[in-house]
Amino acid sequence: MEYSFVLTGNPNVGKTSLFNRLTRSFEHVGNWHGVTVDRVSKSAKFEGDDINIVDLPGFYSLTVHSFEEEISRDEILFGKYDALIYVCAADNLSRNLYLLLQLLELDVPVVVVVNMMDELYAVGKTIDAKKLGDALGVPVVLTSAKRGFDGGEIISAAVAESKKHRKRDLPYLRHLPIRSIYEKNKDGITKSKLKPLYASVKLLERDAFVESSVGSGHVAETRYVAETVRLRYEFIDSVTENIIIRDGKQSALNKASEALASFADKILLNKFLALPMFLLIMSGIFWITFGTIGSFFTDIIEKGINIAVESTESFLVKTNLPVWLIKLVCYGIIDGVGGVAAFLPQIVILFFFLAILEDSGYISRLAFMTDGLFEKIGLSGRAVFTMIMGFGCSATAVLTARGLDDEMMRNKTVVLTPFLPCSARLPVFTAVAGAFFGKMSVLAILGLYVLGAVVVVASAAIFESGKKLKSGEGSFVMEMPRYRIPTTERVLQILWSNAKTFLIKVGSIVLVLNVIIWILGNFSLTQGFIGAGSGDSILEQICTVISPIFAPLGFGNWRAVTALMSGLVAKEVVLSTVNSLGGVTAVFGDSLAAICFLVYTLLYVPCVATLGSIRKEAGTKWMIFGLCLQLGTAYVVTLAFRLTALAFSCGIGYGIAAVSFWAVAALLAALTKIIFEKRRCVRCDGCKHCG
Amino acid sequence: MVLSGAKLNSVYKIAEVKDGRLTRRLLDMGFTPRCKIKALGFAPFGGTVLVELRGFTVALRKSAAEYIVIEAD
Repeated sequence: MEYSFVLTGNPNVGKTSLFNRLTRSFEHVGNWHGVTVDRVSKSAKFEGDDINIVDLPGFYSLTVHSFEEEISRDEILFGKYDALIYVCAADNLSRNLYLLLQLLELDVPVVVVVNMMDELYAVGKTIDAKKLGDALGVPVVLTSAKRGFDGGEIISAAVAESKKHRKRDLPYLRHLPIRSIYEKNKDGITKSKLKPLYASVKLLERDAFVESSVGSGHVAETRYVAETVRLRYEFIDSVTENIIIRDGKQSALNKASEALASFADKILLNKFLALPMFLLIMSGIFWITFGTIGSFFTDIIEKGINIAVESTESFLVKTNLPVWLIKLVCYGIIDGVGGVAAFLPQIVILFFFLAILEDSGYISRLAFMTDGLFEKIGLSGRAVFTMIMGFGCSATAVLTARGLDDEMMRNKTVVLTPFLPCSARLPVFTAVAGAFFGKMSVLAILGLYVLGAVVVVASAAIFESGKKLKSGEGSFVMEMPRYRIPTTERVLQILWSNAKTFLIKVGSIVLVLNVIIWILGNFSLTQGFIGAGSGDSILEQICTVISPIFAPLGFGNWRAVTALMSGLVAKEVVLSTVNSLGGVTAVFGDSLAAICFLVYTLLYVPCVATLGSIRKEAGTKWMIFGLCLQLGTAYVVTLAFRLTALAFSCGIGYGIAAVSFWAVAALLAALTKIIFEKRRCVRCDGCKHCG
Repeated sequence: MVLSGAKLNSVYKIAEVKDGRLTRRLLDMGFTPRCKIKALGFAPFGGTVLVELRGFTVALRKSAAEYIVIEAD
């Protein structure tokens, strides 16, 4: 037999963890509200049956407020499934049951799964599943995706439930004028094909979606909105009374961890300590990734690669293979691509720490503490999630902005996040900085991270000061998760899946692109193989035309320009290109050129995949805006950086250039401000012309 | 008194949720009249507030906290 079940429930109750368990998948999970932003489905076999499981973004009510919640509502209303699997968190039953009641009003088969039972057992409590199930008219399964999980129990309960039709009694509905609102809108409800009970209750709740589907009929009085909500919660209170029973003692370990959690909150939620703690934590992470453990492993692998290049070359020279092929294998492939693959340990370490941040519940606290600051620059504390994810991968981080309810704020977060250095930029930073700054390279890299953050904040502040890109009145209503420790299994899974993704990328895109670039850089159209740097190779011919544009930035040579252009496909390719076109020291004459190149690499377009994500989330206009913004900002900031640096080292001539640059920049900023200000009408508090 | 004026760590009761853009969302989250509520902390710059109700914790921006009228428990 074939069955289809849909996982649904409030945010952060562990739907995706259950999904991963049931279907043996590795969908992204995290200890915060709003990790899943799209519908995901997969099939699995259970006792000979084909079971298709759908995972949805979490939400609080069928009356939705954001795009991701709409995805969930539409799947529940119009999707084809045999039963809903409603996931609750054991520690927050009453709020969790609120959405459940709305699903029961829909009159569809539902199985309730109370997840995270391990947390309740740890304090010596349990839930009377039978009593809860009888009161609600649904089967209740107690489980924990983390410990002692039994998927078969959930699936067999869902299969059994899908086969029988229950007549449920929801007593609180009797206090609402459902009959009368139904009669008054009968034609519209029939035409809309919505379920009559659901449509009637939602009409009383003044749900915009149902009102527009049913059409202009009889509109309910507003007092029923709060009344419906109140009746549901009163019913929940009566159902959950005495449902949690004490059947043991709180474990000593749990007592200790509770004390630790409240101590952590005293520091992390302290007005004065929160920001310094954040800087300390992030510097610690980067220090370990770049400075100590990460570079230790990377150095070993790099030494191995050097040996491999030398021994392969000396071996191949003895064969009769053409010289160009030997060079391609040794420098284009082993040195170029291997040089990127060497960064595997650092990438894995960075992702490991990001996952710990995500799973611990810390980012939610950070989001709360920074919301005030972010509000001032037209963003929201929630943007912190997107930005921290941006240290991993810009393209996937951009997708997490969906939970922001103001469209302008969401779009701005989407175009600004790529300014934060993703893990693909890490190998470029480390290799180039390492070659020029030696022991100081960690500081140089930290500086780049700080610069990325400063550019985000400054751009957001500039956007917010004008009228055109000002954010609307966003709201910030965000649940705070408990502190949690990821399981060993989950940690291993994070390490494995990120290592796999990175190696596949290096083995495919980076390899192919690098072979093409190496050939273009070493062959001439007329003379065949000539080697790099002779001035006649195909790439040199093309890039010499473009490179003068970058001359003011200090790296106007064809190798650097090729690296930047190929980096549009994937940032790792910047490094493999530099490696195979002669190595870091040959490409950049001096350390200033190198650091300018890094500043540019930090800020320009991260990769085509990110542009694709921006387009998906914010539309083509915003993608083009983002592209121009990133290219423009990269150029201007790098130029400013170089001129200022030259002023310090080379004296008066460059000093004048730097001062005049900053003067022009300030003038332009002032002009832009005046132009935007002019848009405001006289004697107007805000109309459609001036926002 | 509205929620943004609450004293830290004292228990209040919700008197009403004012009408506006966020009313529905707050009601759905469980901010219903007569529900007990406690302010756990305020964020710097702007007064985003962290509250506890119905056994869970939620952060609200000042603009949202001003919808919630509270009274002494």
